[in-house]
Amino acid sequence: MRKSILLKEHLSVSLVVLLILFSVAFLSFFLMKDFLMDPKKYFNTELSTAEIHFLIIHVLLIIASVLVSYVIYLLLSLRTRTELEVLGATRSLTASLEQFTKLYDEAPTPYIILSEKGEISELNKAALRFFGVVAGEIKGNNLFSYGSEEDSEKVEKLLQYYKANIPINNEEIRMIGKNNITRWVLLSVFEMDSSRDSARSGLATIFDITEQKQLDKAKTEFVSLASHQLRTPVAAVKWYMDMLLSGDAGELSPKQRDYIGRIHKVNEEMVDLIDTLLNVSRIEIGSIKIESKPTNVIDLTESILVELSSQIEEKKIIVDKQYGDNLKDIKSDPKLLRIVIQNLISNAVKYTPNEGAVTITFKDSPAEKAIIVSDTGVGIPKEEQNKVFTKLFRASNVRSLAGSQGTGLGLYLIKSIVEAMGGNIHFVSEEDKGSTFIIKL
Amino acid sequence: MEEKNKKKVLVVDDDNNLRSVLVDKLNISGFDAVGAFNGEDGLERALNLHPDIILLDIIMPVMDGWEMLKKLREDKWGEKAKVIVLTVVEDTEAIARAVQDGSFAYFIKTDHGIDEIVVKVKEMLKGD
Repeated sequence: MRKSILLKEHLSVSLVVLLILFSVAFLSFFLMKDFLMDPKKYFNTELSTAEIHFLIIHVLLIIASVLVSYVIYLLLSLRTRTELEVLGATRSLTASLEQFTKLYDEAPTPYIILSEKGEISELNKAALRFFGVVAGEIKGNNLFSYGSEEDSEKVEKLLQYYKANIPINNEEIRMIGKNNITRWVLLSVFEMDSSRDSARSGLATIFDITEQKQLDKAKTEFVSLASHQLRTPVAAVKWYMDMLLSGDAGELSPKQRDYIGRIHKVNEEMVDLIDTLLNVSRIEIGSIKIESKPTNVIDLTESILVELSSQIEEKKIIVDKQYGDNLKDIKSDPKLLRIVIQNLISNAVKYTPNEGAVTITFKDSPAEKAIIVSDTGVGIPKEEQNKVFTKLFRASNVRSLAGSQGTGLGLYLIKSIVEAMGGNIHFVSEEDKGSTFIIKL
Repeated sequence: MEEKNKKKVLVVDDDNNLRSVLVDKLNISGFDAVGAFNGEDGLERALNLHPDIILLDIIMPVMDGWEMLKKLREDKWGEKAKVIVLTVVEDTEAIARAVQDGSFAYFIKTDHGIDEIVVKVKEMLKGD
């Protein structure tokens, strides 16, 4: 490309120069016709006209030959330059090929070149290490035959994908690696350029995620274990309390009943606290799974309001339900969404003085799906608003508020969950006027 | 209720408090309840006593609830035994497994009062 442009450029320049030169010569010849007729008059010389002609032709010939040599020189130098370029390019190609081969061979990721049918034709050192073999032992075997029994269906499907030329991108499967140990991997297969051969080939990469998986499993197991260990004693307290309250151990005096009622309530708070803490740790270790299914947000919200009814009635709070016909059937994770809405409404109720109002609005249009909870509560001081979603944050104006124990985890949890579900949350709040939280799903 | 007409309930739970509160409550409510402290113990007692219903915890040492349930279903009598799975770990996968394994009910201990469990036991034994 560059070469031909260069050549054209030079040729046209020399052509133009040549043209100018000839036209100047021609013009001068034309103009000088006069004195050529009678050179003696102008040049004051003894030379005859023919001799002057001869001189001029001589000069022109010299100029022409200089030009021709220049053109030849240009052509030659261009050729040399092109040759040099080709040489340079070949060198850098060889160098980059060497680099590529080195990278391919020494890369920590197993690379495998596959035949059209998925048989292994070439593989790098990491791949040999992964399978714990030498090249001769594995070449010709089908890569997909190394999929583990447990994933046989998926592996079969991937093989069909490969044969049908559908790209395989980071598919999580188990493969049999070195010493017949099953390893979790992310398998990708890309099509290689097959313009030169008639046979199609593929480049497979195997990314070993076994350790990551084990770590994830350990973390998840830890949370399950903590969940079990923390919940068991509160369940026992709850049930013994149930028995006392239902008179299984004899009638209680009103005072005893009152106290046990209080312990019962504290214990319920303990259950909530444990749940929140565990959900926060699930979010933080990334073990929370989003299981989307058709969800009716109205039903969900109504059941939360039933749960919170005693607090709502106690504080004579008016709940204004602006549901419309919205969010009756959306795709979401009902369990997680419940945590979000429960926390939002319970906050609104908690931080709204007696006889205040809580408004719950649902929006459902193609442009946005939103849940809006607004209250006429104490609000969040302006200077603290940027910290609202940080862990353990509690606004200065609620710390001393009666009956508003909080962990400072609720909004942190809500934000984490909403974002994990692909939505976002924001709010507007004015101290002593109220707050509005908007969740976009 | 006559002593011998009392329905037999087996409570399998490794937590001493939970086991004894359930056994006490069920006995007060007119059942003949006994406890077992892990899956292995529970399986042995279940196969000997042939209780009318088994309340089964899941996370237990030695043999967990799932393992006991699996072994129970291998027995001719145990195949049809009524089981209520009681656990503290909320886990949809576990619920799916409980249904698949043919147990009949599933409770999360912290979410339900003890009376609700007694009601469920009575409901499941109705007509027996």
